[in-house]
Amino acid sequence: MQKTFAESVIRFSLDRPRTIIWSVVMVTLLLTTLATLPSLWPQQFPALQSLKIDTDPENMLSESEPARIFHNHAKKEFSLYDMVVVGIVNEEHANGVFNTASLTRIFKLTEFARQLNWPDSQDPNQWEGVIEVDMIAPSMVDNIEQGGLGAVNFSWLMPQPPTSEEEAIAVRDRAARIPFLHDTLVSGDGKAIALYLPLTSKHISYEVRKALLAYVEDWKGTGDQIFITGLPVAEDTFGVEMFVQMAVSAPLAMLVIFCLLWWFFRNFVLIISPMILAVVCSLSTMALLVISGNTVHIMSSMIPIFIMPIAVLDSVHILSEFFDRYPQIKDRRRTIEQVMRHLFKPMLFTTLTTIAGFASLALTPIPPVQVFGIFIAIGVFLAWLWTIIFIPAFIMLIPEHKLADFGHASGDVEDSTPMSRMLHQVGVWTYDHSRKIISGTFALVLIAAWGISLIQINDNPIKWFTASHPIRVADKVLNEHFGGTYMAYLQFEQAPNSVSVETYAQLLKLRLKVRKTQSVDNGFLFTDKVFDQITDKIDSGLPTIESKKRLLFALTSMAQVALDNAPDDEYDAWDDLLLFFDEERQRDEVFKQPEVLNYLDKLQQHLLETGIVGKSNSVVDVVKTVHRELLLGEDAAFRIPDTASAVAQTLITYQNSHRPQDLWHFVTPDYRKAVLWLQLTSGDNQDMETVIKSVETFVADNPPPYALEPHWFGLTYINTVWQDKMVSGMLEAFAGSFLIVLLMMVFLFRSLLWGILAMIPLTVTVGLIYGIIGLTGKNYDMPVAVLSSLSLGLAVDYAIHFLARAREARKNYASWRETIPEMFGEPARAITRNAIILGAGFLPLLAAPLIPYKTVGVFIAAIIVCAGIASLLILPATIRMLETKLFR
Amino acid sequence: MNKLLSLIAACLVFASGQAIAQSPSVDDIVHRANKVSYYAGQDGRAQVEMTITDNQERVRNRRMTILRKDVPETDMLEDGAYRGEQKFYVYFTRPADVNKMGFLVWKKLDSDDERWLYLPALDLVKRIAASDKRTSFVGSDFYYEDVSGRDIDEDSHELIETTDNYYVLKNTPNDPSSVEFDHYKMYIHKDSFIPVQVEYYDAQGSKYRVATALKVDTIQGYATVTKASMENLKTGSKTVMEYSDVEYDIGLPDDIFSERYLRKPPRKFLR
Repeated sequence: MQKTFAESVIRFSLDRPRTIIWSVVMVTLLLTTLATLPSLWPQQFPALQSLKIDTDPENMLSESEPARIFHNHAKKEFSLYDMVVVGIVNEEHANGVFNTASLTRIFKLTEFARQLNWPDSQDPNQWEGVIEVDMIAPSMVDNIEQGGLGAVNFSWLMPQPPTSEEEAIAVRDRAARIPFLHDTLVSGDGKAIALYLPLTSKHISYEVRKALLAYVEDWKGTGDQIFITGLPVAEDTFGVEMFVQMAVSAPLAMLVIFCLLWWFFRNFVLIISPMILAVVCSLSTMALLVISGNTVHIMSSMIPIFIMPIAVLDSVHILSEFFDRYPQIKDRRRTIEQVMRHLFKPMLFTTLTTIAGFASLALTPIPPVQVFGIFIAIGVFLAWLWTIIFIPAFIMLIPEHKLADFGHASGDVEDSTPMSRMLHQVGVWTYDHSRKIISGTFALVLIAAWGISLIQINDNPIKWFTASHPIRVADKVLNEHFGGTYMAYLQFEQAPNSVSVETYAQLLKLRLKVRKTQSVDNGFLFTDKVFDQITDKIDSGLPTIESKKRLLFALTSMAQVALDNAPDDEYDAWDDLLLFFDEERQRDEVFKQPEVLNYLDKLQQHLLETGIVGKSNSVVDVVKTVHRELLLGEDAAFRIPDTASAVAQTLITYQNSHRPQDLWHFVTPDYRKAVLWLQLTSGDNQDMETVIKSVETFVADNPPPYALEPHWFGLTYINTVWQDKMVSGMLEAFAGSFLIVLLMMVFLFRSLLWGILAMIPLTVTVGLIYGIIGLTGKNYDMPVAVLSSLSLGLAVDYAIHFLARAREARKNYASWRETIPEMFGEPARAITRNAIILGAGFLPLLAAPLIPYKTVGVFIAAIIVCAGIASLLILPATIRMLETKLFR
Repeated sequence: MNKLLSLIAACLVFASGQAIAQSPSVDDIVHRANKVSYYAGQDGRAQVEMTITDNQERVRNRRMTILRKDVPETDMLEDGAYRGEQKFYVYFTRPADVNKMGFLVWKKLDSDDERWLYLPALDLVKRIAASDKRTSFVGSDFYYEDVSGRDIDEDSHELIETTDNYYVLKNTPNDPSSVEFDHYKMYIHKDSFIPVQVEYYDAQGSKYRVATALKVDTIQGYATVTKASMENLKTGSKTVMEYSDVEYDIGLPDDIFSERYLRKPPRKFLR
C-alpha cells in the first residue's frame, strides 16, 4: 500500500515534471504574495495579516499567565515604566562629568530627551515616547536640604547649568545626600550621571536610543562618553538586528552549503535543486507564519535557520545516491526510481520523527516556543513533500547529456576518492574494534552525564549581544559606576483581611471607650451622650453590615449628619468622634506604620548583602531623608520617626515638592501596598533567583508585621519565570517526543531491539552536546533549550538511513562482516556528505553579532557531526556485537 | 471647554455686581482680576475640602481651614492700593494623621514670602525656604502660588482677545528661568473679573495645566469662587477645592498669624 502510494507519487512527478515545478513555484509565490502584500501596503489589504515583529521576552509567557498579569497590574498601579538608561561618563576630567561643560551638555541633552514624544501612530489622541514627568535627570528632580537657619528647602537639583566649577561639584554633593539619587542619578564614585527615561512603551526604545545617539554626535572629543542601556533597549535592538542577521547569515550559510555541494557533485544544475528547496521551504513556512497572524518572535525568527538544514538533508540523500548510481545505470529515470525505492521509507520516517520532535514543543507552556515547534513541523513536512516530488521532477528536466559526466565516472566505485577509501577502512575498523567503540561510548556517556549535572540554567537578554556590542559595553560600564541598571520590584501588601466585622466591632467599642475618657478629659461637653449614642448604633446596625469598611463608613456618615445638626456645645464631642473614626480608617494604611517601615528598611539592608542588589529604593528612604532634613539635616535623624502620624506628616512635607507624584512609585495612595525597587548589577536569571531566595529566607526568618506578603514583578523577575517554564517545559517535551520517536522506530523496524538501536546515536549525541554545555560552563539558555528538539530531529536521521539500509543489505550477504563494504560504500558516503555539508554550512552563523544565532550555528554543526560519527561508529559496532539477535 | 466657559459666564452675570461701560485697560483688567481673586474683604475664612484624583481615579482627601488677613487697610483699586502684604493660616483637620498640622504664610510683594510648617506629631515648627513657589501645595495639583496668588508684577500681560464674556489675557513671565511655564492664558469674566479659566503652556506651545473656577457665589457682596479645579494634563491628576462657610471681614487679629499660634491653634476662628 505504502509502496504503491510512493511509487505512484514518484511516477507522477517523473511523468509530469513541468506540472510539478510550476505548482511548487506557484504555491510558493502565492504564499509569499499573501504575506508580503499586507506587510508592505497594510491599508490596501486590511483583511490580510501583516508581518508583526515581537522581541518582547515577556511574550514568552502567555497573556493570561498570573505572573505576567500581576506584573502589568503592579506596573500600572505604581506608574512604573520600562526605562532607557543613559549614562554619561567622563574619564578625562578629574571630577568626571561634574564640570560646567559636561553638566551643560547633560542639561541640554535632558531638554532634548524630554521632547522625545510624538502622537501615537495608532491613536492620534495618545502620545508615545519619553514620559517627561517621570524622567530622572539633574534638572528634573527635587533636592531637599537645609535652606538657611532652621529652614528646609525644596529646589530643583540643577535648575540651570552651573556657571562655576564649585557649583558643578555642589550638584554632585547635594545628590550624594539623597538616597534616591545617590548611585542612581549620580554614580557612587561621583564621576558619572545616569538619566532615566521612562517610555510609554518599550517598543519605541530603539528609536529613542537612535535619536539620542544622533543628538550626541558632536560630543566627540569633549571627553564625555554616552552609554545607553536598559532591558527595553536591548530587546528592541535585538529585534532590529535580528532581521539584519537573517539577511546576512542565512544567505551566507546557503552559499557555503552550495560550495560544498558543488565540491561533492560538480553539477551546477543538479545542486541548485536543494538550494531552491531550502529557500522555497523557508519562505513558505515564514509566509504561512505571517498569514496565520503569528508574530515574528526571537524564537520564530530562527525558523528559516532550522528549516534549511532539514530541507537540504533529504535532497542530499537523494543526490548522493543518484550520484553514486547514475554512472552505472546511465538513465536518469531508472536511477531515480531505484534511488527513491531505497530512500522513500527512511525519508518518510526521518521526516515523521523530526515532525514529532518539533510538534512536541506545542506541549510546552511557552507560546512562542509552541508556534516555533508547530511551524517547523509544518516546514519539515513541506520539505519532505517537495523533496520527493520536486527533486525527481527537477532531475527529469535536466537533459541527459548534461548529466553525462555526473557521478563516479569509472566503475571502480569503491576506492576512487579518499573519502571512499577512508570510509571503507572505518567500516572494517568498526568490525574489528567493536568492543573498544562500545566501551568508549559508555565512557563518553558517563562523562556527558557528569557534564549534564554541571549545567547552569541561566539567561540574560543583554548577553544575547556579543561582548563588544555597544549595548554590552554600555551595560558593563554603567553597572560598574552605578547601583545597577536591572530593575526588579518587590511589592508588599497585607494578606486578605481575616478579621471578621464582628470581631472588629468589639475592638472598635473598646477603643471608643478609651477615646471617650480622653474626650471627657479634654473637657468636651456632652461626650458621654455623643459616644454612647454611637456605641448603641454599632450594636443595632451591626447585623446588616458585611464589612469593616462599610461599618466605618456608616458610622462616619451618621456622626457627620449629627455634627451638622448638633447644638453648638455638642460640636467638640462630635468633632472628636469623627476624628476618631478617621483614625480608625487610617489603621489600614499600614505603610505609615513605623514597625512596617523599619521592617522594609531591614530587608533593604539584608538585600545589599547579597552583592547582587547594588541599591534599593523605597518609601523608607523618602521618609528617612525628609525626616533628617526636618531635623536640621543631622545624620542621627536619618531614621523612621516613632509614630504613624509623624510618618504621615513627614510624607506630606515631602509632597510639598515639585514632584509629589514620585511618592506613588513607592506606595499606593491608600498606603496599603508598597514596592521596593531593586537595582541589580546583573540581569542574569541566576542572580535574580539568588535574590529571590534571599528574600524568601529573610521573610521566613523574620515574619513580616501586619501579615504582609511579598510579590515579585519587573522584567528581570519575569525572565526567571519563563525560564523556569522553559526548562521544565522543554524537558517534558523532549521526554515525550523521545518516547514517540522510539515508538516510531519500533514500528518502522517492526522490532523493539532495532528501535532501541536507532535511538542510540541520538541519545549519545544529545547527551554529549548537553554534557559539553555543562563542562564548558556555557549557560543553558533559550537557544540551547530548543536545540534538544533539533537534535532529536536530526540525530535520528542518520540512524534510520543506516539501519534501514543495513537491514536490507544484510539479506544479500551471509554475515555482517560481508555486508560492511556495501554499508560503508554509498550509504556511508551519503551520511558523511550530509554531515560535512550541513555541519560546515552552519558555521557562518558564528560571524553573527547576536549570540543566540551563534549558539544555534555551533550546536547545529556539532549535533550533525556528532550524530554522523555516532551513526557510523556506534551502530555498526553494536550490530556486530548483537548480530545474531538482530538478524535472525 | 467653551461650553463650560459660557455656562459659568451665564451664572456670573447674576453673581457679579455692576459691569463697566467701556473697555478697561489691560492694567485695569489685571488689577481687578487680582483683587477679586485674592483680596476680597480685609480678611476671610473658609473651610476647604480638597479632593485629589489621580490618573488611576484614586482619590485622596484633605480638609483644612484657611484664614487670610490683608495688611493694607483699603480695598481701593487706584494705584493698586489694595495690594500689599498678606498673611495666611492653613489649619489641617483631615486626614486624621495630619490633624492640627498648621501652615503659615506671610506673603510679601518685594521680597520672598515667609512660610512656616507646624508638624504636631514631631512637635516641630519648620521654616520652609520659599525660593520657589511653584511647588505642590500638600501634594495637590495646586501650587503654593495658586493658593496665595502670583504677583502681577512677575508677568507681562497682554490682552489677546475679547469675547462676548471674557477678556483673554496672555501672561508671559519676566524671568522665564524662575517658572516652569512659557506663558499662561487667563479667561477673565467681563462683569465679575473672575479668572474663570487659566491655561498654562510649555515651551513647545502645548497646554499642560488648567485651572477652572467651577462655581461662583456672591458672599457678603463679594463674587467668590467656591469650587475650583486644577488639572495637570501631563500627570493626568486633578484637584478640586470646595470652599464652604466662607466669611469675610470677621476681624481676625494680627497676632494669630504667628509661630506661637501654629502650636496653639486659635480654635475660635477655625471652627
